Amino acid sequence: MRFDPPRPRSDDERILPLINVVFLLLIFFMLAGQLAALDPVQVDPPRSASQGEVGPHDLVIMLAADGRLAVDDTLIDAAALGPALAARLADTPPVQVWLKADGQADSTRVIALMETLREAGVARLKLLTVPAEDGGAG
Amino acid sequence: MRLAACRPPRRLSSRGRRRPLISLTPLIDVVFILLVFFMLASSFLHWRAIDLDAPVKAATGASAEGALVVEIRANDLRLAGEPVGLDALTRRVGDRLAAAPDRGVVIKPAQGVPLQRTVAVLDRLKAAGVADLSLVRDPAPSGGG
Repeated sequence: MRFDPPRPRSDDERILPLINVVFLLLIFFMLAGQLAALDPVQVDPPRSASQGEVGPHDLVIMLAADGRLAVDDTLIDAAALGPALAARLADTPPVQVWLKADGQADSTRVIALMETLREAGVARLKLLTVPAEDGGAG
Repeated sequence: MRLAACRPPRRLSSRGRRRPLISLTPLIDVVFILLVFFMLASSFLHWRAIDLDAPVKAATGASAEGALVVEIRANDLRLAGEPVGLDALTRRVGDRLAAAPDRGVVIKPAQGVPLQRTVAVLDRLKAAGVADLSLVRDPAPSGGG
């Protein structure tokens, strides 16, 4: 006795499983991913065991491995950072600042940047990191 | 007249089934485009943060007095001037802090040390229970900042 598998009756029914899978993928990416604006500089954040919450932020400062700086979405010269921050902080005094620095950036440069921020009156600064993967931090 | 003749009679289409009113093909196109958009635009980085104000701060020279100084150099670590490994550093700092809990620790990366290394040392010291961590810049002339 042989049972023939039921033959799909139309083209639409033949691609229904495909549509199901695509829908599932779509929903997965919508829920699991976060939409993120493209950063003006390429930053590969340092890996850290830190579990601190990122929290809200008013200002993002990015430091690339080659030393380029960006405030929010605009590239800025290192010398122009202090005045730009001072102008920015004049409007809204208590500012939570995120520092997105590349893991390969010079540490002394980062500390100098922290000093600049402190002089500009930034009270709360967070260094953004990502959790260490199984390779571990070098 | 002619138009009506061209339209196939509904009941006579394949095996008596009605074609759906809306074809699925445009829907699939749109879903595919959405899928590709979300795949490309979403990021899966789980951001974490290190507070650089409360325990860790860019200390000035004065506040570093009496603190343990951890120097991070290009290829080794130094605690108070003597070379140590990362594990030994954690152990020794833990010992010294057990003796004097309110002692601060100052991390001083040398010029050219990548941030990743500094963060790794920072992590280890935090895990060792150091409460008062500061980062200071090597006093060597730096290329602006």
